[in-house]
Amino acid sequence: MSQLTLNPPPTRTWRDIPQTVTPRAMSREGKKRLVFAVGNIVGIVLVLGAAGWGVYELVSVWETNPTRITAAASSVPLRDVTLRTDGVLDKSWVMRTLDLPKDASLMELDLSALQNRLLATGQVQSAVVARKFPDILTVTLQERSPVARVMAQLGSAAPQAYMVSRDGAVYQGSGYDQRLADTLPFLDGVKLVRSGDGFARIDGMDQVSDLLGTARTSTPALYHTFRVVSLARFNVDSTITVKSTEVDAITFGVASDGFYRQLARLDYILDETRRQNPPQPLKAVNLAVGGSQVPVAFGAAGASDDGNNPRTTTVSKTAAPAPFGTALFSLPSRNSSPSKRDF
Amino acid sequence: MISRTKFIGAVEIGTSKVSVLIGELSQDRSLHIIGVGECQSRGVIKGSVADFRAASDATHTALMAAEQSAGTRIDEVYLAQTGGHLEGFYNEAAVNVSAADNMISALDIDTVCRLAKSKNLPDGRMVVHHLRRPYRLDGRIVPDPLHLVGQRLEAGYWTVHGPEAKIADNIHVIRGFNVRVAELILSSLASGAMLASPEDRQNGALVIDIGAGTTDFVLYRDGSAQMTGVVPVGGSHLTNDLSLGLRLTEGQAEKLKLRFGRGTIVTKDRAEKVWLNGDFAIGDRQFPRYSIEQVTSARIWEIFEVVKKKLGPAFSPEKTAAGVILTGGTAKLPGIDEAAAKVFGVQARLGEAPGWVAENLRDPSFSSVLGLLQYGLSSRAEAAAAPRRKAAGWVSKLFATV
Repeated sequence: MSQLTLNPPPTRTWRDIPQTVTPRAMSREGKKRLVFAVGNIVGIVLVLGAAGWGVYELVSVWETNPTRITAAASSVPLRDVTLRTDGVLDKSWVMRTLDLPKDASLMELDLSALQNRLLATGQVQSAVVARKFPDILTVTLQERSPVARVMAQLGSAAPQAYMVSRDGAVYQGSGYDQRLADTLPFLDGVKLVRSGDGFARIDGMDQVSDLLGTARTSTPALYHTFRVVSLARFNVDSTITVKSTEVDAITFGVASDGFYRQLARLDYILDETRRQNPPQPLKAVNLAVGGSQVPVAFGAAGASDDGNNPRTTTVSKTAAPAPFGTALFSLPSRNSSPSKRDF
Repeated sequence: MISRTKFIGAVEIGTSKVSVLIGELSQDRSLHIIGVGECQSRGVIKGSVADFRAASDATHTALMAAEQSAGTRIDEVYLAQTGGHLEGFYNEAAVNVSAADNMISALDIDTVCRLAKSKNLPDGRMVVHHLRRPYRLDGRIVPDPLHLVGQRLEAGYWTVHGPEAKIADNIHVIRGFNVRVAELILSSLASGAMLASPEDRQNGALVIDIGAGTTDFVLYRDGSAQMTGVVPVGGSHLTNDLSLGLRLTEGQAEKLKLRFGRGTIVTKDRAEKVWLNGDFAIGDRQFPRYSIEQVTSARIWEIFEVVKKKLGPAFSPEKTAAGVILTGGTAKLPGIDEAAAKVFGVQARLGEAPGWVAENLRDPSFSSVLGLLQYGLSSRAEAAAAPRRKAAGWVSKLFATV
């Protein structure tokens, strides 16, 4: 049997008649249905096209200028800004910092940008900026507290005092009571590094903060004599050196038995030296050594001494300190430990 | 799964009226008839479109009425096809089973079917239906020969074909309403699907649908359609005969036919007369009842004789145990079943729609359009059972309406 016989050509059936539409052969109702169907298709195509164009526009605007998207949502003008903070900053400072455009609507505001402006000041540790519809912007701040001050110079500006917080942030303080700010000791022995528009954080400030905080609460009289806190040897031997009005160099050890005990010893030593007749001004006190003896250095009363080359003299535990030089200051027995002393 | 309902319109563009039914085909393939539309036909002669505009207007009016009745739009149409232009022939083929173990494969079946359907048609004609008769395997009838063992497989098809132009005219009438024709179904097959039960078809039955302009018939045997045909004579010829014989207008003749016409002569008294209108108004006349019955029964008798002649040797009373089933508008003529029984020599009865058909659709004139839905859905289900390209979704449906 031939291939042609096995695969004969298919006969034509009615399904081969093309069912195309010829409008001139259509009735009025048929034309109406055709228009409806074409309109249906055109409508769907338009809707799909509009949706696609909308998505394209949205994506492109989102990539180029996101504020336009929020601006389109509403145009209610901003009426007020409310502030909630745990620090000293006030609403006027917030308004200056945010620098909101005049007659700006609530939806136009770029909250992320506003938050960044607040955080850029350094004094603000965290900021939450939120819209409260219909027309109020709420700002919630968590501020840094200053622990010390540091003199620094940014660019060509005159040197000025910056605040240093516990986490090492260096910032220009704003809104602080000047009398309170003046009691803060200056920070020394640190190298400030530029970071962006400000300075990089300073390491070791948590220890400084602990020391100063303990001093302020436990020995306020001592704290008020602190003038300079130096971290020059912090990374070398883990010590913090404080210059006070009475002692040129008080060395606190970070790894020693706590700032509270060290402050107690310092207070005891200062009391003892004040009782001596004539009083022997202390040049240096090294509390970082620990134990029952504290190396101290004396200077001549009224004598000028930079404290760098004190004459050293060894005295016994019970002996009175020599007029000049260094000594090991013996502390009382454990029962009358200075740590249990009532400040 | 998203439930998808399709609204199918069954349309019969007859010589006297256009009938439209709307079926709601649910996802679970249950069908509910939700709309009916009818309109007096125009521009159709003996089942063929003679005036496109008039036929379109009438058809579209019926479609709109059906859509209004259903409250929805038609998605696609199953269209009835009739007319004297349709012809049929039988062609068969045989193949030797290719496998060494003589087990019949799907390839054998496909080959024999393609061969049986491959007979060339005259120019300008195209196939409307391929009706397969039961397979024969080594001479015995088998419904499905797959995996049976034998040596020679035979298949035969009764092919119904018609001129492309006339078939296209019918399709274009529907397309003018901007609806796609999904199925083109022979009117006789539609009526047969509705009225002949599977038992009738198995035992042998002749379904005759006498419309206004044509008479369609289908002969069933061994469970499948053996032969179909169309005689371009119908109820309108009875009216015409009465009009000519009694010198009446078409309308008066139609009225007399409906009131006094019969398939057989029962009036003994040749002097018995009937009034034309019965209102004794001016113009009301009397006519001999015997004459009316004589005219109508003669034409009915003639129609049956023509059908019998067309069937030829394919029809035999012994192999038509289920008898003759009559339907169509003219089948409402009293005594027509007696005439059929006498002509064909078998019992004859009027076809009755199944019980699920609503009362207003049980009239014999609706059997064809009802059958369109039934036949169309069953044939589509059979086609869907075969592997085929996955049906397109709503997008293609949307574009298909343009």
